[in-house]
Amino acid sequence: MKNQNINTLEDYKYGFTTDIESIRAPKGLSENSIKFISKMKKEPQWMLDWRLKAFNRLKNLKEPNWQKPKYPKINYQDLYYYSAPKSASEKPKSLDEVDPKLIETYKKLGIPLNEQKRLSGVAVDAVFDSVSVATTYKEELTKKGIIFCSISEAIRNHPDLVKKYLGSVIPLTDHYFATLNSAVFTDGSFVYIPPKVRCPMELSTYFRINASETGQFERTLIIADKGSYVSYLEGCTAPMRDENQLHAANVELVALDDAEIKYSTVQNWYPGDKDGVGGIYNFVTKRGACRGKNSKISWTQVETGSAITWKYPSCILQGDNSVGEFYSIAITNNHQKADTGTKMIHLGKNTKSKIISKGISAGQADNTYRGLVDIGKNASNSRNFTQCDSLLMGNKCGAHTVPYIKNKNSSSTVEHEATTSKINDEQLFYCNQRGMNQEEAVSLIVNGFCKEVLQQLPMEFAVEAQKLVGISLEGSVG
Amino acid sequence: MINNFKVNSNEIDKFKKISKQEKEFRIKNLNLFNKNGFPNNKSEDWKFSDLRDIVSKNFKKLDVQIINSKSKNTTLIKNFDHNFLVLINGNLSSSNFDFEEKNKIKIKNFYNDNFSDINKYNPLIHLNHALSDTGYSLEIADNYKFKKTLVIYNIFTKELNENILNSRNKIQIGKNSELHTIDLVVNESKNKFMNNVYENVILKENAIYKNICIQNEKSDGFFHKFSKNTLSSKSKYSSFIFPSGLKFNKLDLEFNLEGEGSECNLQAASLLNKNDHQEIKTRINHLVPNCKSYQIVKNVLNTESKGVYQGKIFVKDIAQKTDAYQLSKALLLNDNSEFNSKPELEIYADDVKCSHGSTSGSIDETSIYYLMSRGLNREESVRLLVSGFLNEIIEMIKSNSIKKFVQKKIEEQIHGN
Amino acid sequence: MLEIKNLKASINSRDIIKGLDITIKPGELHAIMGPNGSGKSTLANVLSGKNGYHISGVIQYKGKNLIEIPVDERAQKGIFLAFQYPTEIPGVNTNNFLKTSLNKVRKSKGEKELDTLTFLKIVKEKSAELGIDEKILSRQLNVGFSGGEKKKNEILQMKILDPSFMILDETDSGLDIDALKTIANGVNSSRDKKKSFLVITHYQRLLNYIKPDFVHVLSDGKIVKSGGMELAVELEKTGYKKIK
Repeated sequence: MKNQNINTLEDYKYGFTTDIESIRAPKGLSENSIKFISKMKKEPQWMLDWRLKAFNRLKNLKEPNWQKPKYPKINYQDLYYYSAPKSASEKPKSLDEVDPKLIETYKKLGIPLNEQKRLSGVAVDAVFDSVSVATTYKEELTKKGIIFCSISEAIRNHPDLVKKYLGSVIPLTDHYFATLNSAVFTDGSFVYIPPKVRCPMELSTYFRINASETGQFERTLIIADKGSYVSYLEGCTAPMRDENQLHAANVELVALDDAEIKYSTVQNWYPGDKDGVGGIYNFVTKRGACRGKNSKISWTQVETGSAITWKYPSCILQGDNSVGEFYSIAITNNHQKADTGTKMIHLGKNTKSKIISKGISAGQADNTYRGLVDIGKNASNSRNFTQCDSLLMGNKCGAHTVPYIKNKNSSSTVEHEATTSKINDEQLFYCNQRGMNQEEAVSLIVNGFCKEVLQQLPMEFAVEAQKLVGISLEGSVG
Repeated sequence: MINNFKVNSNEIDKFKKISKQEKEFRIKNLNLFNKNGFPNNKSEDWKFSDLRDIVSKNFKKLDVQIINSKSKNTTLIKNFDHNFLVLINGNLSSSNFDFEEKNKIKIKNFYNDNFSDINKYNPLIHLNHALSDTGYSLEIADNYKFKKTLVIYNIFTKELNENILNSRNKIQIGKNSELHTIDLVVNESKNKFMNNVYENVILKENAIYKNICIQNEKSDGFFHKFSKNTLSSKSKYSSFIFPSGLKFNKLDLEFNLEGEGSECNLQAASLLNKNDHQEIKTRINHLVPNCKSYQIVKNVLNTESKGVYQGKIFVKDIAQKTDAYQLSKALLLNDNSEFNSKPELEIYADDVKCSHGSTSGSIDETSIYYLMSRGLNREESVRLLVSGFLNEIIEMIKSNSIKKFVQKKIEEQIHGN
Repeated sequence: MLEIKNLKASINSRDIIKGLDITIKPGELHAIMGPNGSGKSTLANVLSGKNGYHISGVIQYKGKNLIEIPVDERAQKGIFLAFQYPTEIPGVNTNNFLKTSLNKVRKSKGEKELDTLTFLKIVKEKSAELGIDEKILSRQLNVGFSGGEKKKNEILQMKILDPSFMILDETDSGLDIDALKTIANGVNSSRDKKKSFLVITHYQRLLNYIKPDFVHVLSDGKIVKSGGMELAVELEKTGYKKIK
């Protein structure tokens, strides 16, 4: 009595490539390739110096090896560090000037750059390989004093802000991949929200890796000045290739007094095929500083793609009464591996943090939650609550929970809970009896399992994410 | 101060009459230890307890000689019929099994017949394997249930001064047999010393082992114990640990649930005071289906104390229907105290029930308020709440006489400061 | 509607149903009574297609043998089981669940899928009809529901999905008199010439409200006696022991 009409694994629907002429940096990691990037981006000398400083530092660093997913050695000399569509060598001033092929690519991805057909209330910065190709809604935002542009433009046009905040959350010397990014980052988004401004729409960056043998190293910097608010979304896809591609981004958030930043990610990089060939290595450093009092940073992530995901979006709660949140869904299927979680560093008084992590593992995949909650000596009356739930589908996959909990303050409270379970047969039977097939039932139950996280996403993304949860697990129950 | 403690290889030459195999085993382990020295916080298992730092801050030298002291007559627990072993500085000095059938029990001095087991991670095990020459080996025959509890008196004499003791103990319980033990630590030394124990507990099918471990008065001891426990099918292991009062104490407990239907229960309650540093590290390996493990660890931390709990539950892919639970609760009474925990799950089977929880925080102010409104002062209220917090564990002890005995010891600790 | 011939079912090589025959015609309501462990719930599970049973015999439904058909397709063909213990599914909104379910059933019948608004209208209508507070539908599926709420939710689902063959597995157990009336109301308002029911119960209580056409006594995996309402009355007086 088995359901026969399943197991038709839907192909990764973003797996197409765009045939477009591109300009590339010389292959390999060297001072020359860094100078090339800096020159292509028309950067001032201080920026180049900063990059070279990072590069010199990198020579003394080693790749970390403590994480659970192991990967074959990456040959850093065999990668291109810059690739840009030729047509975008000068960033177009308006959408009319953007290469139609690019517009078509984003349309296929469901990201219309055309403002009339836009997602309601979402401004988009589209990054194609190493460059930002279009930013929508600029004018409307400028009226409010909001700066939303590519980081390259910000370096040229807002050097004071960039100098002040770039590297202030993730230091130049932080760890191997963060430092590598500091040396070779190509593009990414820059956001500045002036004091007391509530950003009227969702800001969004859409990352697309197109070129082969190319690493993507974007850098995002978001500053919410006193009393401001912004919600930012990040989406990403890549073509299906049988090589592994490296994605090592840095994202820095700074929230000043009474400011709030909400950062949501739906990560759907190419995960590799059923046998684990190809896929993106997603080694990302994301960190936010709640620098001001009463500030808040909230991370939400839905991680379904990539061959290996390895990221810990973190909050440094410096300001008194500041709040950090981390909501995460990580789904791994086939041979995917994810080692993800967060760090909540409580430094200020009355700081609060909340961690909700849902890990789902199917096929031969491995899913690890790794997190740190650190309550400093002076962080009196602080609180953390952590809930980590894992769902296993089959006994060829693994689910792991590795929380590090440190408490040095007696007036502060840390609570951690974790469970591991499987989808219960009775639940499946109940759904089946109401007419749903196995895949639909699994999708429904898993979405229920993830609900606390999904409801943190802005509406436009939540629907997409729910579908993604179902698709990612197709073929995993039979 | 010693920063880089190494053991001279001629220490091994002092062991006369050992087989070539044993000699090689000792040398191999000595080299491993000397290569790494005492572990520091760079090593994941020692992340929260930097032993190298602790040793170098507290010891000018460490003598590896075995101290063969005679203690004055051991004061036995009164009004409590029991068998006993007396270990003086780790060395088995006397035993008494008057309540039991002697032919069911084999007791020996230090004994090791396993020279293949090379531990990968823990330098203190290497040190122990290289140098241990004291300890006991206790074997219980099949189908024998002990009539009375066995108390193991661990006495440390006043001669100890900057020594490190390495001993090795083994307990094997035969099929369908049952043993209850109490480990009691009595410290007569006023000086700093280290005690490094390797313990091996083997439970055959259907065997039952219940252990209660009580650390007594405050001392300058630095203790490390690695305990490897192997559970055959339907065997049951239960341990209550009440350690406290040591400068440094790390219990590294490994359980291998190798037989179906085996069960392991671990309960610990500690009150840590000024300058105490204590770590409980567990690793429970669920290797076959239908096993249970349950851990609950409670710590109360007073001024300038540090508590650590690192617990790992590992579930192998074939270990379906595993039921594993892990809970750590800590009360921080003062800002100069610190509690770190790492409750870890590593799971490869889907039809399992595994969960853990960890909390740390302050004493509940509304409870204090309630008690004070009934006329207690703040200090009394805190004491009462602390004893209640720890009592939850003690209440789980089934035997009334033992429960009372432990309660008395804990009350002494709470009121002793 | 439904013809069961020499049905046998076992689980983990334990025989539970040991040769059972029933014929249920369109419009009929059959009640099955029997002591604990007689195989009543197994019968409900087997008819709805739950996995894990070893089955032989014939279950002919609208002229087709059901045995090889999976659970969801049977549901789409109009077989509905009101669960004895409705399963809790955390995080899943009841309305959302029911809408998915209704659209699956509609789709299989070749009907158009409903949008949210139309769906909610139907829900409002049906819950008003049954006197059920529709608020339970905006909660997580069966999570934190009281026993009565769970059972009412089953009946509301039954009304909304509009199946043609309904199995009620001890839906009346543990209910107060008001809830019992709600259930009876749900059943009675669904009765028509084309629909049939199999009501599994321990007590005469529910049957007083829903008037069965036939009452069967199930004992040790077999039907040992059949009759009308008078059999239920007799059972209530004498208990199962007297019946052989």
